[in-house]
Amino acid sequence: MSIFSGFPELPNPEETAFCKINEVYCCGNVRYGNISTFTNSTKNHPKINVTKDLHHHRLSDENISMYVDVEDNLLKKITSVWYKQGFVEALSVAADPNVNRDSKTLAITASYALKVANLFTALRYFMQPHLKDIGPKIVSKYSRTRNWGSAPVKCIAWHPHTTKIALATADDNVRVYCSEVSFVSTLKCKAQGHVSSLSWRPYSASEIAVGCEQGVIVWTVDPNSMFTKPSSSNAVVLKRAGHSPVTDVSWSPNGDLLISCCGADTSMLVWDVAMETAIPLRRVAGGGIVFARWSLTANKIFAATSSIIFRVWDTQSWTPERWCARGCRVVAACWGPKDVVLFAAKGEPIVYALNNTGLMNGAKTSKAQPVLDVTKVELSSGDLVGGPILDMCWDPSGRYLALLFEESHIIAVFSTTQLMMQLSVTPCCFITGIENEVPSTLAFQHNFTDGACLTIAWSSGRIQHFPIIYTDGY
Amino acid sequence: METKSEIFSQRLVKAVVWNITLQISLAVVLVFFIQVDLIHPISWIISTFNDIFSWKMALNAILLGLVSFFQAYLYGSYFSVPVPKYFTRFSMFLNIFSVQNIIFSTLYALNGYFTMSLYSSLAKSNFNILKKKCETYDGQCLAEQSLFLQFGGMWMGLYYFTSAHLLSATVLTFPHIYQEKFQQIKLVISNIVAMGFQHSVTPVIYYCIFYYVWGNKPRNVVSEVYSLYLEDPPLDNIFNLISSGIWIGLWFYTSLYFISIYTMKTVFNIVLTEPMKFPIEGDAQFTLNNALSQRLQFTGYLGAQDLKYMSLMDYARRSQIFTLSQPGGHPRNWNNLLEKCLQMINQFNSELDKMNNDSHSVEAENTHNRKTFNTIAPLTPPSVYSRSLRNMAQSPNLLELKDHNKNKVDDTFATAIKEEFKNFLLKLSQKPGINYFFGELVDTKLKFILIQAQPVIWTCEGLAYIVSASLKEDKYGVVQNDLPIVLSTLIYLKQNLDKLTKAGLVPRKHILNDVLAIKIRNALLSSVKRSLYKIIMTFSKFIHEIPLDPDVQIAIQSFLSCKEA
Repeated sequence: MSIFSGFPELPNPEETAFCKINEVYCCGNVRYGNISTFTNSTKNHPKINVTKDLHHHRLSDENISMYVDVEDNLLKKITSVWYKQGFVEALSVAADPNVNRDSKTLAITASYALKVANLFTALRYFMQPHLKDIGPKIVSKYSRTRNWGSAPVKCIAWHPHTTKIALATADDNVRVYCSEVSFVSTLKCKAQGHVSSLSWRPYSASEIAVGCEQGVIVWTVDPNSMFTKPSSSNAVVLKRAGHSPVTDVSWSPNGDLLISCCGADTSMLVWDVAMETAIPLRRVAGGGIVFARWSLTANKIFAATSSIIFRVWDTQSWTPERWCARGCRVVAACWGPKDVVLFAAKGEPIVYALNNTGLMNGAKTSKAQPVLDVTKVELSSGDLVGGPILDMCWDPSGRYLALLFEESHIIAVFSTTQLMMQLSVTPCCFITGIENEVPSTLAFQHNFTDGACLTIAWSSGRIQHFPIIYTDGY
Repeated sequence: METKSEIFSQRLVKAVVWNITLQISLAVVLVFFIQVDLIHPISWIISTFNDIFSWKMALNAILLGLVSFFQAYLYGSYFSVPVPKYFTRFSMFLNIFSVQNIIFSTLYALNGYFTMSLYSSLAKSNFNILKKKCETYDGQCLAEQSLFLQFGGMWMGLYYFTSAHLLSATVLTFPHIYQEKFQQIKLVISNIVAMGFQHSVTPVIYYCIFYYVWGNKPRNVVSEVYSLYLEDPPLDNIFNLISSGIWIGLWFYTSLYFISIYTMKTVFNIVLTEPMKFPIEGDAQFTLNNALSQRLQFTGYLGAQDLKYMSLMDYARRSQIFTLSQPGGHPRNWNNLLEKCLQMINQFNSELDKMNNDSHSVEAENTHNRKTFNTIAPLTPPSVYSRSLRNMAQSPNLLELKDHNKNKVDDTFATAIKEEFKNFLLKLSQKPGINYFFGELVDTKLKFILIQAQPVIWTCEGLAYIVSASLKEDKYGVVQNDLPIVLSTLIYLKQNLDKLTKAGLVPRKHILNDVLAIKIRNALLSSVKRSLYKIIMTFSKFIHEIPLDPDVQIAIQSFLSCKEA
């Protein structure tokens, strides 16, 4: 018996789900329906639709061929390639007989130099195979956003204390929407490319860390300022050799430390942002660190590597506990109350729970418990739901868990309750897009007092707030 | 104080032991690699072992130990005294020639000399002896290459001393997270080796230039004293120097010297900055309160750091703070702790105040002074007494009265003359040339204050964590009584810091040019704001029930609505 049979039925094709209020699943017409007929709790939430104001100027790697080639002289060509793509690329241009017709000797020298360089890179990849991918490829490989490279919204992050949301759009701008002010701040600087993650600093109204290809950019945006485009003097770029591209950033819940991870770097960096110093945390084996998650109390950090190994670090002694996932690398993890962490491995439709790792039960033999099986099934309406997990999100109170699937376009929300160290998961509701929309990424709002509010970025660029409201009677 | 030197010297000894072990292992690695013989691996290993367990190695180990004790002494004496303050170029210049520095420079030169000769003897080169048998004459000749190397050793010692101690301030920086010692060493060791080889290039070039210009003098002196002949072509000729290849040796040994000195520095940093747990109550000498009361000293740093970690992670000690004394039922632990914390913050605050008031009008000064009274006054008497009693004993009126009396006594002819003389000096120091040397440097005072701000940062955060933890853990409501004073102290510190950062309002005098000081200022401001946010958000539901001054209440509003940048 699949857990999905306990869910309320999907709304009709011309209807869509708006919210859930005290066990009542509220749907309305796609075109005429409005969430305000059901609840006022999201009335002041920023209304966001990204595509309307998205700029398509960015020269991404795919559309280079769109531009007409202009014949430059050789030296200029080589220097421009060197500047943009690096020394090895410049060598290959110089060695290419189609491009370099003028200087034979240069071509021959360059081709030999290229051979030597290739030998070195081959050796390096042999020693460290995880470095093979470069820049955006690594990010898109490890990103929990569906179609990270082409989605209009790359990632979203709610502010921990106020109704303020930041989203990174396809043109690598970070937009900050706030419930109180009507204008949108757009954060953009030259170094900010291939944004992979966002994180607001707790106990601060203004600071947000942006993980991008070069490193971490920490913006300070004065909430009282009226500038819609803060200058890059408000940004601090934190970078370090070998730590690129950054695949994840996260602040400690106390707001004092920032952790950045890079899928191609075996150490994760713990930053003291004001002093701009980083301390690497590294242990043998496991490959690059893909992402890290702080527990709600800041006692533990869950760090997933690009292999089956993952670690749970203790933040007092800064020592890790090593764990192995069964089949594949851990793709998503989230912490809940009482230091319980849920995680899912890539390509597997199972959610595991790990509580009080090691310390309480003492025994090292403790295992992660499977708590939820979401094997793919076909619903009565003919839609497919379930399968391998792409991303998951737990609301801060630990009552609702939202799952995003790799092969299904339906978001499943579960209710979770913790009783006596035992986690029980029960069905709550489905959320579907309008027409052919596909969910890109999702996040729970942190300061929603009426229950939980799930925010979903759809592939159309629409941002939906889906409140789940409960009053104590239910 | 007894405790202070005890902790510090214990750690120094520990650091020395660590240092010796590390240095010896480095030396072993060096011996191993120098004797490399890939064709006869067994004889390679055997000869390495023979060398390692020979009396020569033991002698070297003793020498290493001596050198490292010696380094410990030097290093330790920099941190056991507070950072010296010089506000004018002249005093800075004078300070270079202080007795301490002269002694240290000799010690460093000797250190360089010994380390160099030690490594060169390990490498089995015979550069330790200045004499050799002449090839063409009958008698003793000067081995100039040895002279070159030995002088080079001293040069490197002096070079390091000047670059690390004279031209830049030595500040002990505490890492923001503390991993196991072995892990830390593992992380930095490859970096140290690479840095050693890189950083030794410049001093070698300087030394070669120096030797080219001055080299003949020491050579002549040495050969006269020992009555030695000169046989080889002199090294103060560029061609001879390069063809002799001795510069490669010098570079290699210099790198080893730098590696050893960087290792030493890292080991000392790691051992000295290890967090320490102080008990909350008990034996008078080692408690957290005592540690906190010495702000500018090493123990003060450890105490403040411990306060932060304790209030963040240590439930057991935290609950000890929230308990009442038995018998009596006074929150003695909390009161003592709060007193020390506020004392530290207020001290810092009043230093900042002085800075800020330098440039503000007299009127502003008065209001500030009144403010400081409000915050400091209730703290000074032992907090065991009830609040009303404290306030009476320390009323501002009383203080004014005292002040008045003092003024009368001092108001004599002598002061008038002093005043006159001061004015004359002030005028004199305004003259352009004199001002350059004797005028106060623009940002040094502020820099000096800021560099010592690290314990204040920890104290603010620690106080915020413990206060917000009290909402759930404090059964007797021990902490809540003092919420207003904590909030107003932090707000006041924030306002003082804002004056240093707000664009356009900062007088030229306070614009910082020093990167480190700017970073510390930002770190301090950010941590104060975070602490305020932490407290205010935790108590946001009850914030209106806390009795606060109107201006503090206004300042809090922006935190409540999450609008404070």
